[in-house]
Amino acid sequence: MRTVCYLAHCLLNANAKVDEGARCAGVSAPVVGLLREHGATIRQMPCPELAFGGTRRFWAVREQYDTPAFRSHCRTLAQPVAEQIRADLGAGARVVIIGIDGSPSMGVELTASAGDWGGRPDKPRDEDYPVTPGPGLFTETLLDLLGGDVARARVVGIGQDLFDYDEPAELAKLAAAVEDTGAR
Amino acid sequence: MRGDLRSRRVAVVTDSVLNPPAGGADHLTPLTDGGWGLVVLPPSGLPAGTERAMIAAIADQVVTFLDDGYEVALGWPGDERTGRLIEALSAIGRRVERRIDLLD
Repeated sequence: MRTVCYLAHCLLNANAKVDEGARCAGVSAPVVGLLREHGATIRQMPCPELAFGGTRRFWAVREQYDTPAFRSHCRTLAQPVAEQIRADLGAGARVVIIGIDGSPSMGVELTASAGDWGGRPDKPRDEDYPVTPGPGLFTETLLDLLGGDVARARVVGIGQDLFDYDEPAELAKLAAAVEDTGAR
Repeated sequence: MRGDLRSRRVAVVTDSVLNPPAGGADHLTPLTDGGWGLVVLPPSGLPAGTERAMIAAIADQVVTFLDDGYEVALGWPGDERTGRLIEALSAIGRRVERRIDLLD
């Protein structure tokens, strides 16, 4: 059975990360290498923050992006992705959606969240970035568009936007998701 | 602060670079080793409306990188999607000058 992995944009292009947030030059080689070892077809999802906030944007939390305009932007970007995922599922492929835990838009299990964040950042990028369980805004929109088809896909987050990012552990989690034969 | 490792170099490439056909050339490794970030065009075979929406989103991303002074290059030769991206950029008066040779 073919496995199709839908990657958060920045896993192939760290230039899309928030200012001070790029962990590598461009392609996240360990992630892509793992997927290639497993023979997966790789797709790139759009970065909802890049064309909205530009490359010099600060590290914001979910509440700062949670506006009607950004949600509409996410929906515009997510719609064709959802259509492509449905086509892959319809063709019998196993689909794995790979987000970025800690991201306010691409988080899967963890998203940056704080009710009191706003204005000029006064905290370093990696000293205080509060997260809460739950998806980011784009992930939430994509899963909503997929509706019942979500149950046929595997959705996993890599914690690249978390302070305590542990790459070996995250790669092991990703490998388990790609090897998993049962979608959830 | 942990610093920021971005290359400020972005290559727009076809789906076949990311998912080469059996026996096809491996262009992904040299691009990765060269520090290029990738913006990957949609594969062939999508409904026209889906493809159009994806290319419009990619055009927005490319313009964002150009406006912020990033080096942007087109993988060359591209495919039909590359041509459609060039058309989409041209429609808003933008152009990517640099090409990266990705000959099989």
